[in-house]
Amino acid sequence: MKRTEDDSNLPRAAAKTPRDLSDPEQWVDLYGNFLFKYALTRLRDPNKAEDAVQETFLAAIKGGKSFRGRSEEKYWLVGILKNKIYDDFRRRNRETSFTDLEFYSDEESDRFVTDGSGAGSWIHKLGPEVWPNYGESLDNERFWKTYHDCAGRLPEKVATVFNLREVDGLETKEICALLNISENNLWVMLHRGRMALRRCLETNWFGKL
Amino acid sequence: MNRLIKAIRALLPNCKQAIRLQSDALDRPLSTSQWLGLRLHLAFCKWCVRYGEHIKFLQIAAQCHEHDHRQEQAMPPEARERIKRALKSRKD
Repeated sequence: MKRTEDDSNLPRAAAKTPRDLSDPEQWVDLYGNFLFKYALTRLRDPNKAEDAVQETFLAAIKGGKSFRGRSEEKYWLVGILKNKIYDDFRRRNRETSFTDLEFYSDEESDRFVTDGSGAGSWIHKLGPEVWPNYGESLDNERFWKTYHDCAGRLPEKVATVFNLREVDGLETKEICALLNISENNLWVMLHRGRMALRRCLETNWFGKL
Repeated sequence: MNRLIKAIRALLPNCKQAIRLQSDALDRPLSTSQWLGLRLHLAFCKWCVRYGEHIKFLQIAAQCHEHDHRQEQAMPPEARERIKRALKSRKD
């Protein structure tokens, strides 16, 4: 990573040993990308992400933290960032509802038998396929490109609840309180999000292996 | 006998219902009858079994995606500079 060129306005007392991170600018170099990516995944807007990252660093300085480049510091910063993002969600849902019941609302109905005694069953040829050695895909960079594209296709609200549940591990009650949505709406969004993501990966990756 | 069959049928979810139950099971406890019905359905439906495996895999993939450094998106240089300036002026 490139260091900033201009050191001239740093106080002389700040000795520059290799691991001396008393200069907050170095924190930006060291942790900025990671925090930005984290914020961008959740806020989807680069300007909001930048603001959130900036506020995170400011809060860290205010807390009088000194950094030594240890890996725990990254996760401590992420903790601050996460709370700022949650605050943003709480503020936002007072104006707009966080429910999206339009996305994937047909729930792949064309893949199910519609009438007769077998109604509601998968049409066999259109049902979920075998995914050969799916665990191994996690080591494949091209898989991650596909996953990233598929995840990016989820609309904002569905992506948000999916991330809060699957990545942050928040419980149903916590997500509903944070976003002010009903439990059933949450579960419907999660169900449709998973369905869509699964379908996208099957079409664009596993079905082509 | 017909009544018994009807009662069992009522307990048994179809595939549409079974995949919704499998999704819900990741987020809340199922009721006993829901759980039983689902297990019965999965005993006979390989497609829904696959579906369940797939959505559990998505959980793992979602977490790995978060931590995968190769997906790191660089902050635009202008943003980086703006933040540095803001931190500097705050320090002064």
